[in-house]
Amino acid sequence: MNSASDSLHPLEITLLAALGQSADAPSSDDELRERSQLAPSQISMALGWLQAKTLIRVHAETVTVWVGLTEVGRGYLVTGSPPEWLVQRCRQGAHEGRPLTVQTLQDADTFPPSDISRAIGLLKQEGAIRLTAGGHVEPTGAASPTAERFAALLNQLRERRRELPSFAPDEQTLLRQYAVKRGSAQKPFRIEERIRREYVLTEDGKAAAQRCRAEAADGRGAVNDVAQLTPAMLKDGSWRGARFRKYTISLRPPRVAPGRRHPYRAFLDLVKHQLVGMGFREMRGPLVETEFWNMDALFMPQFHPARAIHDVYFVKTPTHAARIDEPFLSSVAAAHEHGGDTGSRGWGYRYDAERARRLILRSQGTAVSARTLASKPLVPGKYFSMARCFRYDQVDATHATDFFQVEGIVLGDEIHFRTLLGLLTLFAEEMAQAKERAFLPAYFPFTEPSVELHVRHAQLGWMELGGAGLLRPEVTRPLGVTAPVIAWGLGLDRMAMVALGLHDIRDLFSTDLEKIRALRGRFA
Amino acid sequence: MPTISFLRKDLERFLGRAAAPEQLESWLPLVKGELKDVNAATGEMRIELQDSNRPDLWSVEGIARQIRIKAEGAPRAYPFVQRKTRPARRVVVGNGMDKVRPFVAACAATGMPVTEEDLAHLIQTQEKLADGYGHRRRTVSVGLYRLPRIQFPVTYELVKPTEARFTPLGFSEPMTLKDILAAHPKGIEYGSILAGQPLLPLLRDKAGEVLSLPPIINSADIGQVEPGDSELFVEVTGTDAHMVLLTLNIFAVNFADRGAAVEPVEIQYPYDTPWGTSVATPRDINDAQRVPLKSIEDALGLAMDADMARDALRSYGYDVTTARDALTVRLPCYRHDLMHPVDVAEDVAISRGYDSFTPVMPAHFTVGALSEIERMSDHLRDHMIGQGFQEMCSNILMSREELVERMRLTPADGDRVVEVDNVMSQSFSCLRSWIVPSLLRIEAASPRAFYPHRLFEIGEVERPDAGTVTGSRTRTRLASLIAHPHANFSETHTCLDVLMFYLMRDYALEPVDHNSFMEGRAGTILCNGHPIGLIGELHPAVLENWGISMPVSVFEIEVDSLCGEEGAGSSSTSG
Repeated sequence: MNSASDSLHPLEITLLAALGQSADAPSSDDELRERSQLAPSQISMALGWLQAKTLIRVHAETVTVWVGLTEVGRGYLVTGSPPEWLVQRCRQGAHEGRPLTVQTLQDADTFPPSDISRAIGLLKQEGAIRLTAGGHVEPTGAASPTAERFAALLNQLRERRRELPSFAPDEQTLLRQYAVKRGSAQKPFRIEERIRREYVLTEDGKAAAQRCRAEAADGRGAVNDVAQLTPAMLKDGSWRGARFRKYTISLRPPRVAPGRRHPYRAFLDLVKHQLVGMGFREMRGPLVETEFWNMDALFMPQFHPARAIHDVYFVKTPTHAARIDEPFLSSVAAAHEHGGDTGSRGWGYRYDAERARRLILRSQGTAVSARTLASKPLVPGKYFSMARCFRYDQVDATHATDFFQVEGIVLGDEIHFRTLLGLLTLFAEEMAQAKERAFLPAYFPFTEPSVELHVRHAQLGWMELGGAGLLRPEVTRPLGVTAPVIAWGLGLDRMAMVALGLHDIRDLFSTDLEKIRALRGRFA
Repeated sequence: MPTISFLRKDLERFLGRAAAPEQLESWLPLVKGELKDVNAATGEMRIELQDSNRPDLWSVEGIARQIRIKAEGAPRAYPFVQRKTRPARRVVVGNGMDKVRPFVAACAATGMPVTEEDLAHLIQTQEKLADGYGHRRRTVSVGLYRLPRIQFPVTYELVKPTEARFTPLGFSEPMTLKDILAAHPKGIEYGSILAGQPLLPLLRDKAGEVLSLPPIINSADIGQVEPGDSELFVEVTGTDAHMVLLTLNIFAVNFADRGAAVEPVEIQYPYDTPWGTSVATPRDINDAQRVPLKSIEDALGLAMDADMARDALRSYGYDVTTARDALTVRLPCYRHDLMHPVDVAEDVAISRGYDSFTPVMPAHFTVGALSEIERMSDHLRDHMIGQGFQEMCSNILMSREELVERMRLTPADGDRVVEVDNVMSQSFSCLRSWIVPSLLRIEAASPRAFYPHRLFEIGEVERPDAGTVTGSRTRTRLASLIAHPHANFSETHTCLDVLMFYLMRDYALEPVDHNSFMEGRAGTILCNGHPIGLIGELHPAVLENWGISMPVSVFEIEVDSLCGEEGAGSSSTSG
């Protein structure tokens, strides 16, 4: 049989009982504390649970202002307030024939010098003391209203704090004047706002409280429930007689930080597995490249504006590679100068072999493809790389200092412009799940014809997904490749960002652990 | 890639037809143009031109011309590029010019009173060509002048910097060439082009009046074209014969399209050029070329007869004659970008429209695979994640302060890193040589992320290595970091131990003195006697340098060492 207390935590049962005591009348949190004898944190926890279950509700909420004594104020109970203490000391001094100076009063060390100065100022104004020529402080015999009011207030707050409105207006002014608001100022009073809530049982709550009382009376109460099954109970069989408390399973569990892939890496994993699934083989290359492999081998002339679109980072030391391997240096130089045996007229300038050795940080993933072309690639063959690239750009929401480029090549006798468009169609469908796509003429120094692939992305609308083309013979022949070759590159970061709900490319490489732990993506 | 701006009505003027937005969009692929934005109120549009080998398209005239040819099916003729009679006007090149700025081309444009808008376009084209195509005036620069003020022949010759004086644009007093280079804003901006030249190039007319100091600045008199002028003189100087002539040709056809009569000028050289010592400019610069039809068919994957190819090329501006299996093609005078038959193939494709081609799926069977290093990295990632580590992904560019100074590295610890020469920001001035600093950067930024922190990253680093061709080597490394109030050596050691167990690698730890770690709490990780990494509790001074107030233990190993030859031969019997 189901008992009412089954689904209630012992704290909740205790609180229901405390609320039940006042029948229909609302109970404040102070009253509940007194009745239940629970700690404030336990009460607020259990009140939250009970509210969530609609067993109780907030009847009223009032803001009250309270005033009480600080540590400094408690000290005044012993010494008296500074004005009171000062008047007494002066009277005592006069009585003993030893008039006091400001200095001796301050040196007494009972109060900070600023309090003494303030009290002297006040008492002078009230006519209770006067300062004489020798710097002496003498009592006038008149009483200080402030000193007296101070004494009264301290006395009223000696036992407990009181609500501020219970004091007379002039008293309130004095209290506010000498009250700590925030921080650790040396003031005798503390004024605090408290939100006082009153709770009442709902109809369900009354029924639950009723059942709890009944169950407690006949010994079925939750008080005797077992929280945790133990190995000992299993060994000695005592679990048979035990009653196990039922849990409120709707509560949120404690948080843990699991081991998990970085969400951007998880996105890149998906891309890499898609590419492997399409028959692509992964290539890798160095971060520090020569201008030769990064540009020259890609038929970007050494002194042409096409080179200006690649603003690169140069390496400080060494500035140059020891050598560029032959026959590639010579064959690429010939292609640049007069076309060599590529069927091209070349760029018609004097190729600088020294510049070819200049070391830079890889600025485009195609450098990895160039190296692959020079390493006797498979024909037919498909290759891809996810190459970290570096651009000499100001870092902002759309430019990272270094970033991944996904690019590659496809070699084979069947390669021509229409198979290039076929491959891009495949990319549009597989990588962007795009049904609509457009091919636009483009310019890359190393491909001809060149294409830009635009797709209609579900969230981003029309976007450029990538660029591709057929590698120029001036690129392939000098590297020893006679088959036609597609070169392609995909810009996937925007898709990654939309999948992860990010708007700033820098967040893909965030250093904020909480952010990374919270990042989730709709992919995979 | 240059971006040019013009008004819709400018485009329509040269097109000779209306240019509705959707129509413009269908035309832009012809010029590899991307519409960046349109101002609906003013009709101003900005278009980015992609092809750096097609400077003829970097003006509204050029864009309209390419579109117009497509609409009309064939190009219009520019007869002035064919020499018929000897030009009346001459530019005479002086001795020694071949050592400084060898080539010049020029023409006159008459009968067209320039409006303010014309002038704005001319100047935009002048700037785009000289800056982009002409490498900030180094290779090519352009000057525009008032023709009636010039007495021919004009001389293009070298003079002493202190000898000649003229009043440059923007100034009111004559200055010597030397002073112009030193004090005029353009002299300061472009003076480096002439640096080290004892003699400077100067264009002067018969009366000795200065036209300009190329490629720096025009004279304030002859060289100040204003709206209302209807007789202009334009010259191009530079270091590359073809680029100089091509740039003049572009200006000539642009003038012609604006309605001016173009009158050639003869250039007389004391030395030889690709076209001899006496060259009438503008002139054709392209030879006819024979292109086998098959090369176009192979590139495009499309069977076509010669007439199809001819029509496509004619309607893209080519001069074409056909034979049975070949075409003889010739580019118009304002282009010089035909280097290889593949360039012709692309123009056929663009002229026909990329959308007219049916895509074909590549059908050859190929085997896909990840590299060994990537497979090993993925394997390691699985194990680290299984042990409760959060994977991280950091930038590779860092600062020397992060990589070396905060880590307290000494030369003995290996404190060399690959540094960037042209630093943009100190924060991104070095390639990371290890990954622990990347993880510490995260730890330092995340003290409010709830503990424990268990982080790892597998990624590339660049290790200086004098024994290589480039002086450094790209390696892939795994680093792990544990941070919480009781983080210690033992916990990290357990993680490493579990990892090595499942990798089936025997390993040993050898105590090491390393300045990043606490003394007696750091070790070199040895695999088959070879060091493959480091493990230890980070030194409190390192943590203080990073502003981290939590104990941190780490290990880092080189993934390459676990692959292939380097990783082979290890025990498979451990455990």
